[in-house]
Amino acid sequence: MKTPECSLFSELYTCYYQVVARILKEAADHPVTRRRIEDMAREYGYDESALSIAPKLLSGDWPFLKQEPDGTYGSVLKHPLFPQPLTLLQKAWLKALLGDPRIGLFFTDSQIMELNRFLSDVTPLYRTEDFCLFDQYGDHDPFSSVMYREHMHRILAAMEERRFLIVSYLSGKGNILTHSWLPCRLEYGQRDGKFRLYAMSVRRSGKKRIDVLNLARILSLKETESFCPSPVDVDRCLDQAMCRQPLILEITTERNGLERAMLHFSCYQKQVERVSETGTYRCTIYYDVRWETELLIQVLSFGPVVKVLGPESFVRQVRERVKRQAELFL
Amino acid sequence: MSEYKELIRQFDKIRSYVRDFYVYGFKTREDFHDKSGRTYDNHRRRMESWFSDYICTDQKGHKKFVFLTMDSGRMAVNPLYQAWKSKTFTDNDILLRFFVPDLLADGQPRSLEAIADEIQDKYQCLLDTQTLRRKLTAWEKEGLIVRKKAGKQFLYSQAQPVSWSCPGMPKALSLAAAFFQGAAPFGFIGSTILDFWNERNDWFRFRSDYLVHTLEDEILLPLLTAIEQRSMIRMTVRGTKRHRITSVCATPLRILTSTQTGRRYVCAMRPDSRRLATFRLDSIEAVKILGEDPCFEQHGKKLQDTLPYVWGVSFGSSQKPEKVSMEIVLDEKTEPYILSRLEREGRGGSLKRLEPGVYEYTRLCLDGAELLPWVKTFTGRIRSFSCTNRSVSQRLLDDMNLMKSRYLSSEEEPVYEDS
Repeated sequence: MKTPECSLFSELYTCYYQVVARILKEAADHPVTRRRIEDMAREYGYDESALSIAPKLLSGDWPFLKQEPDGTYGSVLKHPLFPQPLTLLQKAWLKALLGDPRIGLFFTDSQIMELNRFLSDVTPLYRTEDFCLFDQYGDHDPFSSVMYREHMHRILAAMEERRFLIVSYLSGKGNILTHSWLPCRLEYGQRDGKFRLYAMSVRRSGKKRIDVLNLARILSLKETESFCPSPVDVDRCLDQAMCRQPLILEITTERNGLERAMLHFSCYQKQVERVSETGTYRCTIYYDVRWETELLIQVLSFGPVVKVLGPESFVRQVRERVKRQAELFL
Repeated sequence: MSEYKELIRQFDKIRSYVRDFYVYGFKTREDFHDKSGRTYDNHRRRMESWFSDYICTDQKGHKKFVFLTMDSGRMAVNPLYQAWKSKTFTDNDILLRFFVPDLLADGQPRSLEAIADEIQDKYQCLLDTQTLRRKLTAWEKEGLIVRKKAGKQFLYSQAQPVSWSCPGMPKALSLAAAFFQGAAPFGFIGSTILDFWNERNDWFRFRSDYLVHTLEDEILLPLLTAIEQRSMIRMTVRGTKRHRITSVCATPLRILTSTQTGRRYVCAMRPDSRRLATFRLDSIEAVKILGEDPCFEQHGKKLQDTLPYVWGVSFGSSQKPEKVSMEIVLDEKTEPYILSRLEREGRGGSLKRLEPGVYEYTRLCLDGAELLPWVKTFTGRIRSFSCTNRSVSQRLLDDMNLMKSRYLSSEEEPVYEDS
């Protein structure tokens, strides 16, 4: 399978093909206007794709559209475009997933058997055992546990249906909470190998809020007959948790500090500038205040290579820890 | 002078640009001095187009900085996958991509000539049979087309779509693709499956995800092939500090991935020194697979025996493990999470309660210096620290003294606040 014929960088996966496929699908459902074609090229393509794709389609250089008497366009294709058959590379990737302990979270045992049969003559793209996540925390979620799998399947179904669930949950403080939640989103943390459920609860006052539940701490679930009529904008709720003042770091180039820090903090929204007077770099990081302690710990791991310049509250926390440390053994 | 195009021919030409714009983001046109200004301008324009939602610019004097910034935890699909979807194609390529599957969707196998004729009849598109033959051969290798001999000629048909017997299978597959495109190696391939099925990831997000890994996937693939074939390889490696290019011969054994620093390495046995070594994937520019290594099994066993003494990716300079110990103070009633941290992050080190509120953590490892970043995360709680390699203990002491001078002697210094 891992042969040069199956290149990752292939024309088959090009963004333009997907844009054209979506335009043709819509044009097959109902005729589309020139404006709609341009909008779709902008929506699904790159920023400048509309300048290339729309003229090619409209001029007939790519003769996939036929113009209707009213000036709109229909597709000349006779069959549905989706789902498209998978390439060997895509099948090899799916086959590799069958070796991943998390695969059972999405399939039942009989579905896994059927998928195995479907991919029986395909060589996996990689073997999970060829990878070692050497610094992943030791207490990841029990992906193979029957209860954990069942909870995941029911949460995924509830998310699809926008159905409220009655959840019994063991809180971090050891209390059992039972409440009605609407599952909205699942977040997976590669560092700790844990799933977190972002779920909406509605208070008696009618006020809505997003709670974060650790999937492994869910004790039981029960489906309700309550449904949410429209999707919940989780990102909008999370925006409220963004820091008011970004973290500002001064990074030196000692011990390859700049390179290490840039990569380490690359998962955050950030901005970096060179301070030519000091030969250092100033990095501004925008973070979610819920994870402030985690960020603080990450900053401390760099030691003196990184200095916190602001905000005041963050500097104070670092100072307190350094002060306590000095009292302990310096 | 060639015309600017949004799509590109070769991925390796763009790899370092995307990385520099995303990881660093402070470089200006002048910093890309190994390429012409025009090349830089074209690549910058491409990136502004591919990543338009995440690209930012800043001006300082006459210098313009262009950088990519995003909170990976908010991304449904890694935006850097766009770079993989930028391969250029010809007009013939796109015509065939849509007309041939549409023609063969009825399930009838056809000869090459019949395909060309019917495409002309049904879609009024005249195709050269040589081009069609080349494309069908390529797609056969990709698994999209099945070719069978019938009499004296070959008949081509489309790989048949699957009809699943288990209920809920298409949805389960979509969910799995939506999850693993962000949580498994080669996630880019998963995102193309979503594209092929006209699906989206509406359900999953990935916290602390190092999106930049995807740029190394073209290097990762031959490394994994070599591991599977138990082969040696020749790598072209660019030094991360001095950027010196060297050619290295080695037998790859395993991929070591850090979930905390954003780095991925290949662990390999070097035949010249007969020692285990690691190479960062983002420093490898090319991989050539050589012949089978007859000692692969022994190398694998050596790695297996050695790994319990490795903290991260360093195998140290001596064969003898160093002993690292530290005493951590905590309030057992109000700070049990510190104990949890020591247990779950300690990578097999031993933990002993010395007295109420004081725990000793001990671990053997080949390179004690590798533990220092983790040890420093406990700043404020370290009652003592020791390592049989004294330079490691000294370095921690020096670092803590530097921290003290930086933070405690300058309490009156103003702090920066964004207005």
